[in-house]
Formats: sequence, C-alpha cells, structure tokens
Amino acid sequence: MNDSKNPLSPHLQIYRWQISSLISITHRITGILNFLGLIFISAWISSAGISENLFECFSVFLKSFIGRFILIGFTWSISYHLLSGIRHLFWDLGYGYEIKTANFSGILVILSSLILTIVLWMIGRGLI
Amino acid sequence: MKASRKWLFQRVSALIIAPLIVWFLISLISLSAGDYNSVVNFFSNPLFLFLTIILLITGFFHAKIGFSEIFEDYIQDEKIKNVANLLTLLLSIIIPLITIILLLYQF
Repeated sequence: MNDSKNPLSPHLQIYRWQISSLISITHRITGILNFLGLIFISAWISSAGISENLFECFSVFLKSFIGRFILIGFTWSISYHLLSGIRHLFWDLGYGYEIKTANFSGILVILSSLILTIVLWMIGRGLI
Repeated sequence: MKASRKWLFQRVSALIIAPLIVWFLISLISLSAGDYNSVVNFFSNPLFLFLTIILLITGFFHAKIGFSEIFEDYIQDEKIKNVANLLTLLLSIIIPLITIILLLYQF
C-alpha cells in the first residue's frame, strides 16, 4: 500500500498555535538541546582529565562571546526543561488539567525559566 | 523496555537530575570564569566527583528514554527507528563511560 501521499497530522500550515502545544514542543526541543549540552559538558570534563592545554582551549572558548552565549542558552534550556518537567509531574499526580490552569502554568513556566536563568547566573558569578 | 517501566524510570531519573543539574550548572558558570586549577580543586572533592558521576549516568539515561519517545512519535519506518535507538543507546553509554574513566583516572 502506497501511503506516502497521505496528509500528515498535525497540518502545520493551518495549525493554530496554542500555549499547550508551544510548551510541549519546546519541552522536546530543549530536551534535545540539553543532550547536546550534556555531551559538551562531558567533553569539557574529559579535556580537564586529558591535559591542561586541551582544557585551556575550552576555557578560551567558554570565555568568548559565543561561548558565553551558548552557556547562557544552555542554562535557559535546562531551566525550561526542568520547570516544564515539574509541570508534567503535577499532571502525573492528577493536578492542573483544567484549560485555564494549564494555560496559566504554561505561561508561568516560560516566565520563570527566564528568571531561573538569571538567578543561576547571579549565584554562579557570586552576585547573590 | 516496557512502556510502564519507561514512564517510571523517566520520572525517577528526572527527580535525581533536578537538584544535581541546578548544583552543577551553578558550578559550571562559576568554573567557566576560573582557571584549570579551580576545576582540579572542584573534582578533587570526593563528594563533587561522586555527584558529577551520578549526574552523568542519570542524565544520559534520561536522555536515552526521552529520545526513544521522540523517535516513536516522528519516525514511521521501524528499521530507521531501531537504528536511531541503537545509536542513541551507544552514545549514552560510551560518552559518560569515557568521561567517568578520565575523571577517576585524573582526579
């Protein structure tokens, strides 16, 4: 049976975006980003275990503009996935299914992920 | 792995990772501004070394389960799905394994 011409769902061209679907797909995307971040952390740790020179290469990169941008992005990606994950755990326990509550917790996840990113950086840099 | 077990393991590993990743991220942000010696000092602490190893193992384990869920939803071809699952499984074992061996060897 040739089903390759069948339409795929959801029809993204006509799909009306909602908070619920936006949060859901972002949870997956940040999950993939976190995996890449985990590989980067492993490489960073390994470089320190191999030689000081190799580690210095990582240090220079992390202190550069791009390096810092990636590290801040990774902090947000982790923050988002963590908070969105907590939202999932509340669902698992049976709470927060009402549309109003789910939309509210979704917006809460987006906003608090930004705040958590800033807080983690301030603690990391000894500003708090 | 049975779907119900996958579901449970995904949540148990998430609960282990949550506090560890917050601690590690703060350390990483702090260490990224420091030098080689500050990293050596960090991993010379047996507790920090132990927690980092736990984080690496549970982190990659959590990622492996997550990826298989994503593949299940987006890859129709069973063969490609199996290859994708096998690749992530190998990556999730080899990368933390090498990192942990280097950590234990050096510190």
